[in-house]
Amino acid sequence: MPTLPHAIIIGAGFTGCALAHDLALRGFQVSVLERGEIASGTSGRTHGLLHSGARYCVNDLEAAIECIEENKILRKIASQCIEYNGGLFIGLNDADLEYLPKFLAGAETCQISIEQISPEKALILEPNLNPALLAAVMVPDGVFDPLRLALAFAASAAENGVRFFPHHEVQEMVFDGGGNIGGVTALNKHTGNLYEFRGDITINATGAWAGILASLAGVDVPIIPTPGVMVAYDKRLVNRVINRLAEPGDGDILLPQRRMVVIGTTSFEVEDPDYIPLDKNQINQMYACACQLVPGIAYALQRGAYVSARPLIKTKMVGRSLSRTFKCYDHKESENIEGFVTITGGKATTCRIMAEKTADLVCSKL
Amino acid sequence: MVWTIELCIARQKAGSERHYQTYQIEIDPDEYVLDAVEKAWAFYDRSLTFRHACHHSTCGACGMLVNGVEKLTCITPIRSVVQDKGRLLIEPLRNFPILSDLVVDTSSMFNNLNKVSFNQVASLPAACLPYESEQPEHAHPEYERLVDCIECGMCISACPISLTSSDYIGPAVLAAAQHESIQSLSPRILEVVDNKNGVWRCHSAYECSAVCPSGVEPGWRIMKMRQAVIAHRIKSFFSSD
Amino acid sequence: MNNNDPSSHHFLRWFDPRHKSIGTIAFIINRFSALGLTVYLILHLVVLSKLASGGQAYDEFLILAKSPVIKIGEMFVIAGGIIHGANGVRIALNSFGFLVKIQKELFIGLMILSLAIIFYFGVHMFSGAQN
Repeated sequence: MPTLPHAIIIGAGFTGCALAHDLALRGFQVSVLERGEIASGTSGRTHGLLHSGARYCVNDLEAAIECIEENKILRKIASQCIEYNGGLFIGLNDADLEYLPKFLAGAETCQISIEQISPEKALILEPNLNPALLAAVMVPDGVFDPLRLALAFAASAAENGVRFFPHHEVQEMVFDGGGNIGGVTALNKHTGNLYEFRGDITINATGAWAGILASLAGVDVPIIPTPGVMVAYDKRLVNRVINRLAEPGDGDILLPQRRMVVIGTTSFEVEDPDYIPLDKNQINQMYACACQLVPGIAYALQRGAYVSARPLIKTKMVGRSLSRTFKCYDHKESENIEGFVTITGGKATTCRIMAEKTADLVCSKL
Repeated sequence: MVWTIELCIARQKAGSERHYQTYQIEIDPDEYVLDAVEKAWAFYDRSLTFRHACHHSTCGACGMLVNGVEKLTCITPIRSVVQDKGRLLIEPLRNFPILSDLVVDTSSMFNNLNKVSFNQVASLPAACLPYESEQPEHAHPEYERLVDCIECGMCISACPISLTSSDYIGPAVLAAAQHESIQSLSPRILEVVDNKNGVWRCHSAYECSAVCPSGVEPGWRIMKMRQAVIAHRIKSFFSSD
Repeated sequence: MNNNDPSSHHFLRWFDPRHKSIGTIAFIINRFSALGLTVYLILHLVVLSKLASGGQAYDEFLILAKSPVIKIGEMFVIAGGIIHGANGVRIALNSFGFLVKIQKELFIGLMILSLAIIFYFGVHMFSGAQN
């Protein structure tokens, strides 16, 4: 009997966990190395929005279609970590009303089932909305618990034999004689011991850290860590996700989660995603944005504030207009290094399809 | 505003004794204790291990002892637990085996939660405490939400009975069992709670409810569970005739 | 403190009220009063057993029992009994699902009531002694 191919996944965020699950289903032996705890990087600190795709249906059709398809799949396979109450896009001024027809047309193109409702009806559904709203559209948004979504994939993967090594930080790539990568060495932070992991394929699923990890292999992956600030308040003032009916911008999504609402987010670039200080101005900005959508925020207390670094892929354009879709790099093609693949970019909602595409690539290589 | 605090963290690698290490951290007092711990890791000591994920109290990963009290560090503002130039003591949760530094092994709790089939998503009224679900903002059964328990293990860390017995199933699991049994008390849940290591082992110190960061009220739920078990016993006594 | 696992060896930490809420105070009081009452029960049985060695020995003991030291001891027994009983009432009520939401207030109320009863007993016992 031939031995199973061994895949080493570096990073146990959404992508790493979903990829471990996928590869295990395809008969791989899988080891997942994570320097911290599962979902202790960007994944854990996501906003928690299960995108319907409506946010992207005007400017980024590809992302929108991916989102709505994945939205439906995740609701089926991970319902135990999703609050699914739908979402609302609300228009508050004339510019928003001008965006409305583009939005409706885009949603139809992407086959996102939406329904425009009257502002009066929106206020009956969500009494805490800004009463000055001019338009409202219902969309199939949801909210997930970030850690539990990652753990759901990880638990299924572990059930199928995947071994997880949290608190194992990769130190060096192990090169075979021919300049190809045959595994990694990792430091077990519980014991302080160094271990070598040998595999047929090593997959860099470290998201915003993908560039840093790839540099260990002498490879350049053009990732810009692009953090955003989110603020949680201690009252669940809405049951649906509230989006601003406008081009994607700062602080235009307010979502409910447990007994809270969470507003997000901003976008700025950093060099090092390991520690990003909280910027008070951005917290105040989020507060102002949240009050616009739901004025009752003024009577709630701030419960938490956090910042999370998105892994945006560097293109010639800057800021928000960067493509939100993910990229998978086979370093055989770009740098002629065999045995090393990088998956990065993307968003939580699309983690499953990212894993599927990466697993396809890995299978085609072996 | 920037404060300088002495962050004193319990360190312990597998197989060795615990010692304490102090870091001078400059931090805005409006940031959270978890941010200070992360800062110590990022700038001073990469060998420090701790557990964290969501940073806004929805996941339950970052429970630690802060100055001796169980706190969910991601929502504990620095200024609420220390003063400028003060000393902040961070230790791992009690009553769980330590894997290293601030990371404890909570798998016993999760295995027990599985025994009562605890589900994280419930309808809005069912997700709230029963005495709240009458209030209009909680009364919509057409909505669902993630329940209050974030499985942080802080109640087990604070419980005097969990301190002295690993057999006691613990407040988190009993609260989850009560939550799952509001509709009906299944034989499966009864088997878990109605025995000497279940609902009868609690000694009413109510520390679980005092430290719960999420309003689960495990103490209240344990007592309600007792009431339900007593009612069940009386009922089955008379119906068996 | 190195051993973080649950263990019966840690029972002394029950009596450390630092960083704890009022529930732990109740827990500690209940344990101390129970221990006190148990010790008293043993002493009580020892004294009763003197009956077996004849009326003379018992009468001698009764004279000793009138001494103020013993009286203060008895006062402690009464206090322990009342406090332990009141705490027991709280736990029994709570266990049947009653008044759990106000368990703190219930504890404080019962303790105030207990102190009042103890005071009443004390006044009676010691003023009775003067007669």
